[in-house]
Amino acid sequence: MIVFKDVCVGCGRCQPYCPAGAIYFEDCRSTVDQESCFECGTCLRSGVCPVDAIREPANVYEYPRALRKYFSDPTSTHAVTGIQGRGTEESKTNDVTLRCGPGKIGIAIEIGRPTLGMGLRDIQKITRALARNGIHEIEPNNPINSMILDPQTGDLKPELLGERVLSAIIEMQVKKEQLAEILQAIKQVSPELDSVFTLDVTTLLEPGLTIPPDILATIEAEGFAWRPNAKINMGLGRVTE
Amino acid sequence: MTHSLHREGSNESLDKDYVVFIYPARGYNYKGCAPKVRRLVEIVYQVGPANMIATTLRKNMYSGVKPDDVLNSIEEGCRVFTVFNSRKKLKELLSAFKAADEGISIVVSGLIDRVREIGAEVGLDPHTINLSLGIHGGTEHLPSAEIRQFTTMCGHAMIAPKLVEDIIRQVKTGKIDTWNGSLALAKPCACGIYNPYRSQELLDKLSPLYTVARW
Repeated sequence: MIVFKDVCVGCGRCQPYCPAGAIYFEDCRSTVDQESCFECGTCLRSGVCPVDAIREPANVYEYPRALRKYFSDPTSTHAVTGIQGRGTEESKTNDVTLRCGPGKIGIAIEIGRPTLGMGLRDIQKITRALARNGIHEIEPNNPINSMILDPQTGDLKPELLGERVLSAIIEMQVKKEQLAEILQAIKQVSPELDSVFTLDVTTLLEPGLTIPPDILATIEAEGFAWRPNAKINMGLGRVTE
Repeated sequence: MTHSLHREGSNESLDKDYVVFIYPARGYNYKGCAPKVRRLVEIVYQVGPANMIATTLRKNMYSGVKPDDVLNSIEEGCRVFTVFNSRKKLKELLSAFKAADEGISIVVSGLIDRVREIGAEVGLDPHTINLSLGIHGGTEHLPSAEIRQFTTMCGHAMIAPKLVEDIIRQVKTGKIDTWNGSLALAKPCACGIYNPYRSQELLDKLSPLYTVARW
């Protein structure tokens, strides 16, 4: 995003709205640090500028900067997946798609969340760690797939590494037996990251919203804990096509 | 929307915060889903959401949009994101969804134990769970857990920590009350699941504890 200095009246109202904290005063006018900006558009959508000085820059859809917008602006549609957002539908429609079926576990690593955002190098640190542990396949419809240069090493395309986004999700479906080794790999790479990530595990439930005890035991054994709140598919969907 | 399971706060506070998604699946029940989603949204309005958005309109409840505008916008593939501020309302909603039997995926993001209880009371057998294993990496760079209670209420992290601090400052200095402060915080949330009722309670509780650097 950019602030037209000729138009800006220097009220500073836009500044607290920026999730990246990228808007600051320069010569008594607000200006956007282009390196920090995620192109999420929050400042523009907030409508707080009294003189309409906030605009989208001309290069916002130019590769590779366009990734900032696709991964950070929830109102934009990703050019690769054709859906709004950074991930896939994961557990939300699993009662009809059964993408995460019996014997399978879904794992999502949401880098940059909460709040901080991240440089794409942090994604590479994780994809490399996963690759070293034999995990080369990320969910096919996940936009991160299009950023990977070599699935065998987990290397991203080098031209992307200088970009920053608000968040991105590495999603994968693995066999239940692989959960422990993946959690170990994630734990190992965690201290190397500049930013943060949230970690999700998806599984089918047993009757009465019973979480499979072996899954919980594995999570605990690898030194992780689950939070009291979760996302739960209530099983009301039906296939009609 | 992956992030709704990472909403932070005490169990007491999270018990007033249940996110619900209405989600048709491309290739499975997409075709002809519009009237079904519309019927489910009518039920949402009857129960009384704390906030809501339909992806075909992208305007939350506090943007001045009318229920008829939302209902009329619904077309094939429309997804709906909404939030309720009590266990009682969630039970009423799920009970009505079950009776409506529209065959569209419904997801609840909230306290597992509470959802289990409600599921049993309503007669639902939940299918899949997405567990949160917390935050990892450079957690020392994060804003305080108190501020994250607000920022994690937006599924896309559109609510900046500085905005929360600015609203607390405005509340402290008498420029805004906690309800309007909460609506101001809900405004940047493009996914419609920021819960202004919970936010108001948090502002009421936290504001006295903060000092302000400028008036």
